[in-house]
Amino acid sequence: MPTIYETVSSTLLWAVLASLIVAVPGLTIAYLLARREFLGKKVLSTFTTLPLVLPPTAVGYLLLRLFADDGWLGRERLGFDLDIILSWKAVVIACSIMSFPIFVRTARVAFEEVNPRLERMGRTLGMGRQKVFLSITLPLASRGLIAATLLGFTRALGEFGATIILAGNIPGRTQTLASALFSAQQSGNETLANQLLGVALLVGFIAVYTTERLASKCSLRKEQTG
Amino acid sequence: MFSKKGADGMKAVKTIFNISLKARFGSLNLDLGYKGSKRVLGVFGVSGAGKTTFLECLAGLRKVMSGQITVAGEIWLDTETSCFVPTEKRHMGYVPQDHLLFPHKNVRGNLEAGKARAVQGGQDFQSVLKKVVAVLELEPLLDRSIDQLSGGERQRVSLGRALCSGPKLLLLDEPLASLDLPLRRKILPFLIRIKEAFELPMVVVSHNPTELQVLCDEVLILENGRNVMTGSPNELFTSDSLFNVAKEHGFENVFSGTIIEKSDQVDRLSLSGKDGDMSIQIPATDAFVGDRVLASIGSDNVLIGLEQPRGLSARNCLSATISRVENAGTRWLVHAVVVDAVPEFVVEVTCDAIEALQLESGARIYLVFKASSVSTLSG
Repeated sequence: MPTIYETVSSTLLWAVLASLIVAVPGLTIAYLLARREFLGKKVLSTFTTLPLVLPPTAVGYLLLRLFADDGWLGRERLGFDLDIILSWKAVVIACSIMSFPIFVRTARVAFEEVNPRLERMGRTLGMGRQKVFLSITLPLASRGLIAATLLGFTRALGEFGATIILAGNIPGRTQTLASALFSAQQSGNETLANQLLGVALLVGFIAVYTTERLASKCSLRKEQTG
Repeated sequence: MFSKKGADGMKAVKTIFNISLKARFGSLNLDLGYKGSKRVLGVFGVSGAGKTTFLECLAGLRKVMSGQITVAGEIWLDTETSCFVPTEKRHMGYVPQDHLLFPHKNVRGNLEAGKARAVQGGQDFQSVLKKVVAVLELEPLLDRSIDQLSGGERQRVSLGRALCSGPKLLLLDEPLASLDLPLRRKILPFLIRIKEAFELPMVVVSHNPTELQVLCDEVLILENGRNVMTGSPNELFTSDSLFNVAKEHGFENVFSGTIIEKSDQVDRLSLSGKDGDMSIQIPATDAFVGDRVLASIGSDNVLIGLEQPRGLSARNCLSATISRVENAGTRWLVHAVVVDAVPEFVVEVTCDAIEALQLESGARIYLVFKASSVSTLSG
């Protein structure tokens, strides 16, 4: 049996990995949805939101079909085995997919809140599109983007339904804080369940509190330095 | 991109603006052409006439169907050769009505936002910054954040930010419209200073004739996206068709003079010319003796006398010579020369008065007005 420490640290690691995986495509899609008009924008928006409205187990099952031997990303089609199912990689993938919509939606709002005329001012001052994005859009959206990262991270941290279908609940291998709590409760191990609950509360509190601090520091800096 | 510059380089230096644009934006049909060698171009029109759209086309922020834009010899747009220089490469400073300063940067950060282009254009950024800070009196504001600035200060920083980016053209979109009257009076002198200190071509958009009179060498009148008239501001705003539009704000006689005397309630302003000294009383200003200030008086606030009046409460009486009398719709305008240093005064009178006083060009008259009718536009 892994210790609580081991379960928690691997859960945190997987949630961080999932957040990192989500960041770049998430930011890109959020920016495109907020700032550009293109064919199929609504379809893209709907697809990125789907995991939020589907039962997590349905998403897990969909991923299972995808990575199964005869799936689109399965051994038969690719010619080699990605070795996803029932591995830590499955946990990270399930967490990424489940936290993607909430990250994109929050980041999109953060970008939409930046006055596009400020970006155009940047261009009249000689900044190319990339520089406008880096020195105007990104800093002005920073608070919302921090919130998006936090929400995505906590979503990944607590992911259960999709993870348990794609990665299972193998202690020491794919068991997360959420699935460990589930197992403890099911097997009547109340002490362990209570301990896991305490840890979950603590981790959640620290994550939200840290972000609140960061966000207020960020806005404080804005107020002080403009 | 600038290959055409060499061949007709001499000609290009003389012609500052060569613009022709055709575009459709919603219900606005922009279709105008202008070619001119005056450095400061004003654009006047009622709201919805397409003034801001025109500026945005100049800035490259809107795409036009067909047209050409050449400013000071540089081609920015030529749809015939598919030349379109993007906004960031147009080397112009754009000052919008609502300042649009970057809220996440302080004043210095805002001024430095266009540094890269200024440096790229071969300018010594530090000396440009120094000059801008001096001209716009920004030194005490440099380390402040944007939300610690007043409306007038924000507008000054916005002007400074545009000037620091190494522009070859300055676009001002209603630079005073968002400010209240006392603030306009404080900012207008800065605009005049910018005009004098930085020898940049400028395009100033406004719906206030007085501002354009003060700042511009030539004015273009926009109506439904077309330029219906072009000419010097004084000529245009007293013209038959425009007088009534300009009248919304009142036609203002704008003149500058030097403060020579101060008291609690009134200042004495000297309007000296080669052909004589003349001074008038104006309401007390914040300016000091020796300062130059801009003052204005509405064309309907001046009385005409054939003889020097006596026993009047009005404190100002200037002798003048009528240069012309013209009809502007239902009113008549008398143009009179006071001293050569001051533009002609325009006085609005009725048809009856023209007949009764036999006002005609060449006649000697006296212009009478109260000190309190004079407004100061600066100081």
